[in-house]
Formats: sequence, C-alpha cells, structure tokens
Amino acid sequence: MKIVVGIKQVPQADSVKIDPQTNNLIRSGIQGVINPFDKNAIEAALRLRAQAGGEVILLSMGPDSYVTSLRDGLAMDADQAVLVSSRALGGADTLATGYTLAKAIEAIGDVDLVLLGRQSVDADTGQVGPIVAAYLGLPQVTFAESISLESANTIIAKRQLDTVIQDIKVTTPAVITVRSELNRPRYETPVNIKQSFDKAVTVWSETDLNLDPEQIGQAGSPTKVTSVYAPEKKGRQTTTLPTDPTQAVVELLNKLN
Amino acid sequence: MDNNEIWVYVELSGSRIEPTSLQLITKAKAIADGRPVVAVIPEATTVQAETIVSQYGPDKIEILVDDRFAEATDEEVSDALFQVMDKQRPNTLLFPATILGRSIAPRLQAKLQTGLTGDCLDIYFKDTLLVQVKPTYGDNIMCDIVCPDRRPQMATVRPNTFRAVQDSSATTKIEKPIFEFHKEEAASILSTKPIINSSANISDAKTVIALGRGAYSEKNVKLANQLAAKLGGMVGVSRPLTDKPEFGHDDQIGQSGNTIAPDLLINLGISGAVQYAVGIKNAKKVVSVNTDKDAPIFAQSDFAYVGDATEFLTAMLGQVR
Repeated sequence: MKIVVGIKQVPQADSVKIDPQTNNLIRSGIQGVINPFDKNAIEAALRLRAQAGGEVILLSMGPDSYVTSLRDGLAMDADQAVLVSSRALGGADTLATGYTLAKAIEAIGDVDLVLLGRQSVDADTGQVGPIVAAYLGLPQVTFAESISLESANTIIAKRQLDTVIQDIKVTTPAVITVRSELNRPRYETPVNIKQSFDKAVTVWSETDLNLDPEQIGQAGSPTKVTSVYAPEKKGRQTTTLPTDPTQAVVELLNKLN
Repeated sequence: MDNNEIWVYVELSGSRIEPTSLQLITKAKAIADGRPVVAVIPEATTVQAETIVSQYGPDKIEILVDDRFAEATDEEVSDALFQVMDKQRPNTLLFPATILGRSIAPRLQAKLQTGLTGDCLDIYFKDTLLVQVKPTYGDNIMCDIVCPDRRPQMATVRPNTFRAVQDSSATTKIEKPIFEFHKEEAASILSTKPIINSSANISDAKTVIALGRGAYSEKNVKLANQLAAKLGGMVGVSRPLTDKPEFGHDDQIGQSGNTIAPDLLINLGISGAVQYAVGIKNAKKVVSVNTDKDAPIFAQSDFAYVGDATEFLTAMLGQVR
C-alpha cells in the first residue's frame, strides 16, 4: 500500500501573539513543529504499512525550513519525504494549497491512500483534505476516529457527527483526515532518528509539477486576508460573593433565581 | 457575476435539523440588506424539513429530494449542491461549521473554484463583499477574510454564534431545482448509529460546569460531575485539560473547541484567556471560582468567588436540591 501523508509545519502551540501597536504577528523565535493532528495521520499510515506492507511518503508544501518537520516525520519511521517549495507558491490559501498537493500526489503516482490531520492548529481550516479529494476525484472520510483495513482495497472508517456515528466504507484510492482520538503517535527512537538522515527528501518546484500559474500561490487564492487583530475582550458587571463557601452559594442561588 | 442571493445549507441528521442552519437563516436575514435569503435542503422524501425551516422566514427554499440523501456521502451531497449552485452562482453560501459542514463545504468549494473561510465567528457585508471573521493561530489571532472576485462567497460558521428567531411575517417560496443524484461508487455509509452515552453536546447544554488547570484533581472532577448531574448539565474543560485522560477535544470550551451558550456556566480554576472568553461570551449567567483574585476570568463573570473550588463545589452540592 502506497500511502501519502500530508503534513504542515506550524508554530509551537499558542505561542503566536499579536503586537498590540502594529497589529502584526510576532513570529520571531518561534519554533516550527509538525501539526499535532498530522502526527496521528503519520502514525495511522505506519500502522497500515505494518499490516499491508508498502511505503509511507510524507508530503508538504512550504519554505525550505519545512524540511525540519519532514525529518521529524521520517524519524517516526516514514520512508521518504517530498517538499513542494517555491516562492511562486507563497500566499496560497486552502484552494491553491489543495491544488498543489493534489498535483504532487499525482506526480508521486499510484497512491492508494492519502492521510491528513483533521485540521492545522494554526490556520484551523480543515479544508485541505476535502479539497485534495475533490481535485483527485477520490472518496473522502473526514475526522476519522478509527480506520480498519477490510481487504487489500477497502477501508472502513468511523466518523462521529454531532449526534450519530457513521461507519463509512471506501474503496482505495481514497483520502482520509484523522482526529487525535485515532491513535497515540509513536516517539522518535534514537535508531530511527539516525536512519532518518539517510532517507530521501525530494524537493519539487512548480515547474517540476507543471503547475498552472493561475492556480498557485496568491494568484490562485480566491480569499484575501484584509485585517489581522487580537480578539476583543468582553466585560460583565461582576458581583463578588462572600468568602465563606456556604454563604457564597446561598447568595448565588438567591440571585440566580 | 452572481444572483445576489444568500444561500444557507440546511444540515439534516435523520429528520433533525441542525440548529446552526436555522441560526444562519436568521443571521443572513439580518445582514441581507435586500438580498434574498435562500435555504437549500437536500433531503429524503419523508423528511420535509421545509415545513420547519419556513418558520424562520427565508425568502425561498430549494429542496433537493432523493431518498438516498438519508445516508449520502460527502461527495454525493457536494455533487448535488454543485449542480444547483453552478447554474445559479449565489452571492454567498453559508454552512454550519459542524463536522458535516466542514467536510462538505470545502469539497464543494473545490468544485465551484471559489473561496471558503472555515469556522467563522462573525459575518457581515461591506459593500458587496462578505467580511468573514475567523480565529487562527491557536486562537490568539482574529482575521477578516474576503473573497473579492469569485462567487459564491463561502463560509462555515461556528454553532451557537447566533440565535435562531422564527419569523412568521415572511412568505417563503418553495422550489425544486433540477438535479441528478449521482451515486458515488467508491464510498458508502454502512451504518449511522446514535451516539450512546453523551446524547447531549456541550454546545447545547443549558448548564455547564467548566474545569480548568487550576481546579483539576480527581476529587474535583468527581464533584463537578455530581453537580452537573444534579443541575442537569454537563462538564466541560479549558484547553489544557484536553490532555487529561478523563477529557478530550469534544469537551473543550473555547475558540478552538466548542462555543457554548448555556443559561448558567460555572468556571472552576479557569484563568480566562481570550480564546476561552470567546467561547463563553454567549453564556447568560457566568459564575467563576478561582483562588487568584486577579484572574482575568472574573472580568468576564457575573459572579466571582475567590477561593477553593473543592469547597465551592461541596457547598453547591449541599445547597442545590
């Protein structure tokens, strides 16, 4: 089974702040890590490989610095990595990103399964998985909380909606996005870290992939960010309750009723 | 370049109408400024959700009827919607930011080759453009996003961000656009089962007891659950506690978790970071317990108790009948 795992490098959780004077993002000194949900996708891929054989290929789009997180993924025991990187791809929104990743997956060729995290923790869109599936014309399961291989080319995945759980059967090739409840990603072992440096990281540009310039980067992005700011705080009139817990509760219950 | 209409996708689970779709109809009417509001419902024959949806006063309802919609895949739904939208190209298309909405909308977005902003906390028109307000970067940053050139302008909007209000003054036209249900061969829904225990979702709970890092202990979890049971409510957590064995992402309150709108919210040991505050701003009454008298949560509370969470919970359990 040839599995591609789409990964994104994100800033260390919660560390991005906004400069109150300039309204710009303060990004300096923030380390990039693999988006946590993508680690669940890598883990799922490695487990499927253990069951069915085959290989796990990591795929990312971004600047050269993204090699850091691809190496981390290789140290989890993925087989090889592909980075699509070029200035022309900068400023891509979800549609342009989905197009670019779909083209890279076509270029990798004969892919049975594409796994992605349910969403990134920085942009929080969760859109790229379904967009990739649409471009490739493949069936999708989103927010999967379990994945089981039923036969060489069928997978049954569970997806929890607000009030129901669905069992969804897909025939490969397919695209699946995963929740953190799916598994617990393995740690990098010293042996795997050492071996990861011998594994290939292929870098492709828009020319390698014959990408349509109208569909990539800023030109291929229908959405524009017009303003960036800190969330506003909202105050309430606060009544302070007495320090004795019983008195506090009695007063509270009286005022609430 | 578009037909000037605001479309709202009506999500169904069986015959249950996702409340966010109704909230979005009310919101769309509020910002419409003359633009017609249209609800689009892919449904099985027996559901007839239009009878309820029309009570919320959209100008028009487009029903796509096929019994296979009872258990349709994301592709089957987005394909049907695409057939209808590609011809009509609404100005704006809104989805609930539910699991289903967040799965179907981007697939449809790619087919329509337009922009989509996920999980918005506000939407409004500035001239012809829909300004879509979205949290990003681990909840620390808000962005205003627009889609200047392509239509429809698509957004998914977080549940319970707006209130649904019935409107009997409006007359609603019901139409059946032409489409074909294309069965997806490579995927099928084998079964759809109700979720057993937590029949309720925290975003719909009338009473919520929220635990934060400052009050986390085995004992407090137990007391909080007892109090929630007594009040007919649910226990939720702030982001740090989603790593604890008792809790998961579904229990999280805040911008990247659930936006809640209970009648009563009791915060225990929650400091009140801005991302949490956004998730609770629609709560009617907020009570907060924290040992730190300067905790930011108190500024967002109607009642403040500076003290120990265990003592407060014990007193509550003693007083509440």
